[in-house]
Amino acid sequence: MRKIGFILSIGIIGWSIIAFSNKLTTPIYFAIHEGWPKPQYNFKQNPLTEEGFQLGRQLFYDPILSRDNTISCSSCHLQATSFSHVDHDLSHGIEGRIGTRNAPALINLAWNKHFHWDGGVNNLEVQALNPIENPAEMDEKMENVIAKLQQREYYKLLFKKAFGDEKITSQRVLKALAQFTVQLQSSNSKYDQVKRNEATFSSQEANGYTLYQRHCAGCHIEPLFSSDSFENNGLPVDTTLQDYGRVKITGLEKDVLRFKVPTLRNIQFTFPYMHDGRFKTLTEVIKHYNTIQPNQHTAVALSKPMQLSDKDRVDLVVFLQTLTDKTFLFNPRYAYPKK
Amino acid sequence: MNQSYVTVNKDTVTISTFKCYISDVAIQYTDQTVYHEKNSYHLLDLEIPNSMQIRFPKAKEKIISKVIFNIGIDSITNTSGALSGDLDPTKGMYWAWQSGYINLKIEGQSPSCKTRKQQFQFHLGGYLPPYNALRRKVIAVSNTNDNTINIGMDLAIFLAEVNLAITPAVMTPGKTAMELADMSTKMFYSE
Repeated sequence: MRKIGFILSIGIIGWSIIAFSNKLTTPIYFAIHEGWPKPQYNFKQNPLTEEGFQLGRQLFYDPILSRDNTISCSSCHLQATSFSHVDHDLSHGIEGRIGTRNAPALINLAWNKHFHWDGGVNNLEVQALNPIENPAEMDEKMENVIAKLQQREYYKLLFKKAFGDEKITSQRVLKALAQFTVQLQSSNSKYDQVKRNEATFSSQEANGYTLYQRHCAGCHIEPLFSSDSFENNGLPVDTTLQDYGRVKITGLEKDVLRFKVPTLRNIQFTFPYMHDGRFKTLTEVIKHYNTIQPNQHTAVALSKPMQLSDKDRVDLVVFLQTLTDKTFLFNPRYAYPKK
Repeated sequence: MNQSYVTVNKDTVTISTFKCYISDVAIQYTDQTVYHEKNSYHLLDLEIPNSMQIRFPKAKEKIISKVIFNIGIDSITNTSGALSGDLDPTKGMYWAWQSGYINLKIEGQSPSCKTRKQQFQFHLGGYLPPYNALRRKVIAVSNTNDNTINIGMDLAIFLAEVNLAITPAVMTPGKTAMELADMSTKMFYSE
């Protein structure tokens, strides 16, 4: 066996002149509402600018990210349905390839520490690598994405605007995409307006809110309506998918059949529900929790079935609809960009 | 590279890829002072000869006693988002489906492997406890001429500990990756 080695060699560190990049960018202030927790995302390592956001928006809507230039991020994350994949239980990628999970909604990602149903992605900035390289999604290589972008004069201009020069690197692509996705903020639902004393709940909504607090708030914690943690919600494994969730990432027995707790914001539009999209309606979701048969693995908060009356079940759905934020769903800043 | 060798286990082996992250490099001198390299992340790639050299500033009239470094990437860096340079995720040393760096990648072929094209693939990594595959290595140095320290890596030592017929591939963090990471520390030595 031939031996190999590496060398530590002594050299003199030269002083290099730091070239100051073009500072003609427009900073964006990321507003956090009163009473909301501190975001998880580290804005210091990716200061938000209008130019970075607009570049990220272009990339988000551009199928150039996929191997055959047919699928963009927005193919599975449509604004009108809160950036979820409407009407598909399992999301599909290029050439009609079908994945194993339902593309989750993109809302208030600045507060997420874990991404994807199994939390396999640990930082918003590296999230895009996963759909770009997954064979069932875009089936592309990041190197190719960069090479394709470099051939477009238009992108050279956008990268120059955002980063000061035309250089296109994976880091810049990923940070620009994060600038867009981190700003997909939803905080203007009727629920939010009630909290700000700008609106009041109807009696049905108020009853639904009480029921939510009693039965759902253990995992879907206000104001984000998620806990960013992983729970077993009592769903039996789909034998055709054999998807055991979080355990694939951690290898820990306790994580078998645990999936990420999704946000309930805009839940009215993010059907079908659950990691594999097995429930088409909120009524089916509530029926599941109403009659759940807990075992030693299910979440502590689900130790008893809800056993709600028909009236209460309706009221709970009515409350969940107050989490719909139309200003988010129709915000022109998040829409398909005009060149 | 791309030549056949026979290991102590009588496996005939050809190495096609060897890539390894070395990080947090420190040089300890005989006077007990220590030089810590800043932003110390190096991707060694056998196909890129330049990558096998790490430069550091000369300390006058000091004698080096030890070289200390990590094999792999620490957990904070693993969760720090999109990085550049040697840490660029397009270097073939990053897992997209499960964020994190591959600390050590060894690939090749051996007739002992009952796999497609007789390939073996070891992608060792993982930063989440209890399967953090980062390893710290301390190498005592003697007889340094004043310009270079040669650190040898003997893949034979690593391959002697792996049964290629039983374990031809490790591609995820976990118990086996931890065991192989332990073995990998043994192949580094001062030349």
